[in-house]
Amino acid sequence: MRRPHSGWPWLVLQGVLAGSLLLLFVLPIYALFTYGTLAQIEAAARNFAVQEAIWFTLYASGVAVLAAVVFAIPLGYLLARHPFPGRSVVESVVALPVVVPHLLVGLGLFLLVVPGSPLYHFTNEIGFPVYDTIWGVVLVMVFVSAPYTVLAADLSFRAIDPRVLEAARSLGAGPATAFLTVTLPLALRGIVAGLLLTWARSVSEIGGILVLAYTVYPGGIYNGPVTSTISVLVWNIIQTGNLADAAAVSSVFLLIAFVLFLVVRVGERSGWVPWRRGDLLP
Amino acid sequence: MTTWSVEGAESDLDRFHLGPVDLTLPPGRVTAVLGNSGAGKTTLLRTLAGFLPLAGGRIRREGVDLADAPPEKRGLGYVPQGLGLFAHRTVERNVSYPLEVRARLDARARSRELLRRFDLTPLAERHPVQLSGGELQRVALARALAAEPELVLWDEPWQALDVEARHALDFVFEELRSTERIPVVVVTHDPTLAFSVADSFLVLRRGVPRPVTDAATLIAHPSDPFTARFVGFENVYDPAALAAAPVASLGGWLASRAGPEGVAFARPVVPAGGAVPGAWSGVVRAVHPTPEGLAVSVRVDALRVGLRVAPGAPGTAPAIGATVRFDVPEGTVHPLG
Repeated sequence: MRRPHSGWPWLVLQGVLAGSLLLLFVLPIYALFTYGTLAQIEAAARNFAVQEAIWFTLYASGVAVLAAVVFAIPLGYLLARHPFPGRSVVESVVALPVVVPHLLVGLGLFLLVVPGSPLYHFTNEIGFPVYDTIWGVVLVMVFVSAPYTVLAADLSFRAIDPRVLEAARSLGAGPATAFLTVTLPLALRGIVAGLLLTWARSVSEIGGILVLAYTVYPGGIYNGPVTSTISVLVWNIIQTGNLADAAAVSSVFLLIAFVLFLVVRVGERSGWVPWRRGDLLP
Repeated sequence: MTTWSVEGAESDLDRFHLGPVDLTLPPGRVTAVLGNSGAGKTTLLRTLAGFLPLAGGRIRREGVDLADAPPEKRGLGYVPQGLGLFAHRTVERNVSYPLEVRARLDARARSRELLRRFDLTPLAERHPVQLSGGELQRVALARALAAEPELVLWDEPWQALDVEARHALDFVFEELRSTERIPVVVVTHDPTLAFSVADSFLVLRRGVPRPVTDAATLIAHPSDPFTARFVGFENVYDPAALAAAPVASLGGWLASRAGPEGVAFARPVVPAGGAVPGAWSGVVRAVHPTPEGLAVSVRVDALRVGLRVAPGAPGTAPAIGATVRFDVPEGTVHPLG
């Protein structure tokens, strides 16, 4: 659609600015895929330590998303539906993890559960040891990524016209039925978008993990070999100076992440997911 | 056949107080709730529907007190403003919703039958976002009727409908009266349509109800400026507008006939051609044609007065700025309040 005053210099300027940003997004990924040879990427994909780190990353981030479902959605609902005193304070607290540098998140959590502290004994006691375990990784991931789900749930619940819920009630639905048949389906699209962000943010986390769970030993729900997330593995390889291997391992993980992303997107297009096409992803 | 009665019902919402409202709602009768914005019309519906607690009085269904009944147990169909349709369900699944939550085995058959009655069968698989205003209204009503409610509460049935769709709703009210035989309460701003469907009228003013009346009484004895304008009086003046007028002027003459809330009178009729004697004279400010002749707005001192000029020969319409003489027959003047 043509708008008034959109002369060509203006269009060229817009194109150059937008194009520069897109290049910034694309070029580093391109560099990762092309630094080494295809054979190196294939070798990385066959490497047991790489496979283990990828599984571990998907596993831990999956648990983090589950934690967001259990804890973040109710918090979002609370913020959207009940105007309680101090709500703005709670909203600021929810925004906090986005501001705090992630290395500091790890440090803060580490100081809480440092061996010898009361929380260290308590978490060991109840079977959730945190330091250098999968729980530590999950804790860091939830800290940095759950706000996206809280925010998305808050906005999605808030966007529902309360009169729609009143209609449901007067049509014979009790509070629980109205929530399950009307509130939740209407908010689902937004919540799923939030969960996807939470997952993406969890997968890409490294700062906090480096401090709290640099090496993860088996225990709890994790029984694999000593390892940590793929980001930590890549960090270790970079430290050795072997950039080609680091790039190859990164490429393997990026391919997997892109495939997962694509599955969600295609699922949306084909309509076999309960939210409607086009609203979740650009 | 259920009769509902509202006895001295009161409700408080934030700093707004509604009531006490007395209403009898017999089967097949339509009660229109009228009033300005903020008069408490929607508050009354939400109180009846059970979303706002009663601060006093009673609501009974066939004599049974509903004080402790939550909205889902009241057996009524509430159509809120904006209709409250479910955007994530198709038309058919909207209509079958009340039957699904009751786990009724005839959900499919009954919703199909309602879709047919309301001319919605071709739209069954669409979502609300794909429908027109009139279609949405029909879906909302079909859904409200699905579980055989014993009272329908309808907030602004004609809102956001074009002229054709508004008149199409007459058939819906005919269904409610004759086929369903259930009492209906509508909230509306539209006088013509309210008069065409409602049997009785409840006027609310800042939360305080006037006694329930019928259309003839409402027109013969408008109780306040809002009602007077609502029933079609164009010349309505509150006491403040008349206060400063000299005794000998039209304003002074009206002031001596005004009630505590002012005065209203029907449009004086002026014969076409103009030059007739009349007690008052005004300067023409605006003229526009209507099916009943020309509506002429004149200025008399500080008052704006609406007149009607009977249809006459072409070229006889009063010109802007001309002076027109008219009378205000004593019998057409109604004190308010």
